[in-house]
Amino acid sequence: MGKLRYFIEQSWLLIVASFVFGLLLAATNYALEPVIRQNRTDKLNRLAKGLLPAAEHFVDIGSEVEIESGRGQSEQITVYRAVANNDKCVGWSFNIGGSGFADRIDLVVAVDAAFEKFAGYDVLASNETPGFGDKIKNDYYRGQFKGAPVGRLKVLTTGNAEKIDSEIIAISGATISSEAVVAIMNGVVGQIRERLLAEGLIDVANAEQRSQDSNSDTGGDVGNE
Amino acid sequence: MHDNITVSFAPHISKPLSTRTVMIDVIMGLAPAMIAAGYYFRLRAFILIAACVIASAVTEWVCNVVRKKPFSLGDFSVVVTGIILALSLPPMLPVWTAVIGSVVAVAIGKMAFGGLGSNTFNPAMVGRTFLAVSFGTLMTTWTVPATIDPNMSKISAENILISDVSEFRTQATPLAWSKMAIKNNLGAETYAEAEFLGTVTGAVGGCLGETSVIALIFGGAYLLIRRTISFHIPAAVLISAVVFAAVGYWQDPMTYVQPLYHLTSGGMLLCAFFIATDPVTAPLTRRGMWIFGIGVGGLTMLIRLLGGYPEGVMFSVLLMNAVTPLIDRLCKRVPASGKPKS
Amino acid sequence: MSDGSALKTGVYRDTLLAGLWRENPVFRLLLGMCPTLAVTAAVKPALTMGCCVIFVLLCSNIIVSLMRNLLKPHLRILMFTLTIATFVTIADLILRAFVPDMSETLGPYVPLIIVNCIIICRAEACASKNGIIVSVIDAVGMGIGFTGTLCVLAGVRELLATGKIFEVAVMPGRFVPWAAMGMPVGAFITLGLMLGLVNLTSKSRS
Repeated sequence: MGKLRYFIEQSWLLIVASFVFGLLLAATNYALEPVIRQNRTDKLNRLAKGLLPAAEHFVDIGSEVEIESGRGQSEQITVYRAVANNDKCVGWSFNIGGSGFADRIDLVVAVDAAFEKFAGYDVLASNETPGFGDKIKNDYYRGQFKGAPVGRLKVLTTGNAEKIDSEIIAISGATISSEAVVAIMNGVVGQIRERLLAEGLIDVANAEQRSQDSNSDTGGDVGNE
Repeated sequence: MHDNITVSFAPHISKPLSTRTVMIDVIMGLAPAMIAAGYYFRLRAFILIAACVIASAVTEWVCNVVRKKPFSLGDFSVVVTGIILALSLPPMLPVWTAVIGSVVAVAIGKMAFGGLGSNTFNPAMVGRTFLAVSFGTLMTTWTVPATIDPNMSKISAENILISDVSEFRTQATPLAWSKMAIKNNLGAETYAEAEFLGTVTGAVGGCLGETSVIALIFGGAYLLIRRTISFHIPAAVLISAVVFAAVGYWQDPMTYVQPLYHLTSGGMLLCAFFIATDPVTAPLTRRGMWIFGIGVGGLTMLIRLLGGYPEGVMFSVLLMNAVTPLIDRLCKRVPASGKPKS
Repeated sequence: MSDGSALKTGVYRDTLLAGLWRENPVFRLLLGMCPTLAVTAAVKPALTMGCCVIFVLLCSNIIVSLMRNLLKPHLRILMFTLTIATFVTIADLILRAFVPDMSETLGPYVPLIIVNCIIICRAEACASKNGIIVSVIDAVGMGIGFTGTLCVLAGVRELLATGKIFEVAVMPGRFVPWAAMGMPVGAFITLGLMLGLVNLTSKSRS
C-alpha cells in the first residue's frame, strides 16, 4: 500500500487538474461546437451562392458520394443540390480538395443543373505562395472555369484566357498551382457526375431547359457569348 | 603553432596582390560586357549600372558608419557587386527597384554577415533573388535591343504586363522561348539555329550584361590571362552544362535546344566567369572548385530543362554557395608528407 | 507601511515595464520565434495571435500562481503544459466559433501556442515563484509586449508586401508590392533588421 500512497501523494494535483481541465474543455466544446459547425456550413453556402446566384438554398442530397481519389483510396464527398425559389434545381455544389504547391487546396465547385458546365469554383482553404500561387483565388483565373464544359480540363501555358473551353490558361509563374486546381477537378467531377446520373438524381430533360435559361442569365458575366 | 608564421605553397607570389587590384581586374574584365550593354540598351544600361554602383557603395558606407567599422569602399569589391547586379537585371527595370536590390545585396547579402570575406552567399545574387521573388513581373519583362530593326519578326511575349514604359518593345528571352518550346513541343531547334548568331553577338532580349557572348568571352579571357581567376570553375561550369544539355538534346532534339545554344544564351557565361568565381563564396581548393563548378552548371541546366523557370543561374549559384563550406571541408589539402596522425 | 506599499507599487511597475520593453519577449528574450515569423505577414492575424497569447498567458499565470505551493518539483513542467494546453484549446475553440476567418489564417499556429516558450517561461520564471497579483501583471506586460512587437513587425511586412495596413490601402496607387516581404524570407529579414535596430539603440544609450 505504501507505493500507492506515494503515488497519490505525488500526483493527486495532476489527477485533479486533469479532471477539472477535462471538464472545462468539455463544457467549452459543448457550448461552441454548434457555432463552429454553423460557421463552416455558412461559409460553404456563401461561397456556393456566389457561384450559383440563382440558388436560394442548398440541400444535402442525403447520401454521400463515394469516389476514387487515386491509389485505391476512396473519399466521401457531400454533394449539395442548389435549389431556387420555385423549388427547381439550378445546380450542384460540392467541396473537394487535393494537394497544391505548398499545401492542401480545398475548393468549392459548382456546376449547372444538368452537370454539363462548370458554374465556377472558389477557394475554401489554401496556402499557396503569395503573389504567385494564391492567384488561383483571382477572378482572372476563376473566370476561365465559368461555363467551361464538365469533363477533362487541360492546362496550357499560353493561349487566350478569355475563351471559355476545356483549355485553361495557367497563371504566369504559378503553373503548379494552376495545374493543381485542374487536377483536383479532373479527379473527381466526372466521377460525381456518373454517380449522380446512376442514381437518377440529375433530371436530364428538366435540367437541359434550366441550363439554357441560366446560360442566358449569366452570359453577360462570362463574356464568351 | 604560431599564427604569425605562415608557410604557403609554391608558387610564391611575387607581384603585389591586394583585394583592390583583384577587384580592379574584375571591373576591367566586366568592361566589355558593360560596353556591350551600353551599345544594345543605350541609356538604360548606364542608368542602371550607375544606380546599382552608387546605391551599393552608399549602403556599404552607411553600414560601416552604423557598425563603427573602418571605411571599406577602397577595396572596390562593392563596386563589383553593384556592376554584377546591374548586369544581371532586365534593361527596363525601374531605377528604384535596382536601388532596392543593391541595398538588399550589400546590407543583407554582405554586411550583415560581417563584410567582405565573411559572406556565405554571393551578394549580387542575393539582391537579384530578392528582386526576382518580390517583383516577378518587372524582373521578367525584357526589351529588344535598340539595334534590332523594329519591323523584324519577333517572338511574341506571353502574359507580359507592360505598365507605363510603353516606348520599349518587349520580347521573350531566347531561354524563355525555348522553355515554351519544351512545354508545347514546338521544336526548339528551328528557333535556336535562327537566333544563334543573335545570342553570340548579343542582339537578343535578356539581362543587361548577359546577352553579348563576345564581350563576356573577352572579359573572361582577360581575367584568365591576368590569373585573377583560375580556369577551374569556369571550365567546370561550362563543361557540365554542355554535357547536361547534350544529354537532353540527344534524348529529344525536338524539345530541347542545342547544347551550344545553352552556353551562349542566358547568364551562363556571366555566371561562369564573373559570378561563380567570386573568391569569397567559392571553394578554395582545386578539387573543391571542380565540384562547385559542376554543381553550378548541373543545377543550372536542371532548372533550365526540367524546372519551372527559364533561367537557373541565380538559384544554382546560391545553392552551391550554401554548400561551399562543406566542399571546403571535404576537400582539405593534404600536406605533402601525408595526413597528420590524429 | 507606506514604504511597503510604495515598494510594492515599484515592483508592479517594474514587472509591467519589463515585459513591455526591458525584457520584451521577442526583442530581448528571443522567445516565441515561431509565431513571430509565421503569422506576421499581416497585422490582423498578428493581433489575433497576440490576443490569444495574452489570454493563455493570463490564465496559465493565474492557475500556476494559485497552485505554486502544491507543485512537486519533478512534476511541475507536466502541470504547466497541462494548464497551457487546456487554455490554448479553449482559445482555439473560441477563435473557430467567433472569428472563423482568422482561425483559418492562423491554422496550426494557434495550437502551437502550447509550445510557445514565452508562456512556459513565464510560468517557470514568474508565476511559480510569485503571488497572483505579480503574476497577472507579468502576464499582461509580457502579453502586451509580445502583441505589440508582433504588430509592429506585421505592420512593416504588410505595408511592403501589399501596400496596406490592417487591410486598408495606404500606399499610393503606383506602389509596387514587394511580394518577398509576405513570404517567410520577409519575416526573417524584418526581424533581423529590427533586432539590429533595438540592439543599436540600447547600445548607444548605455
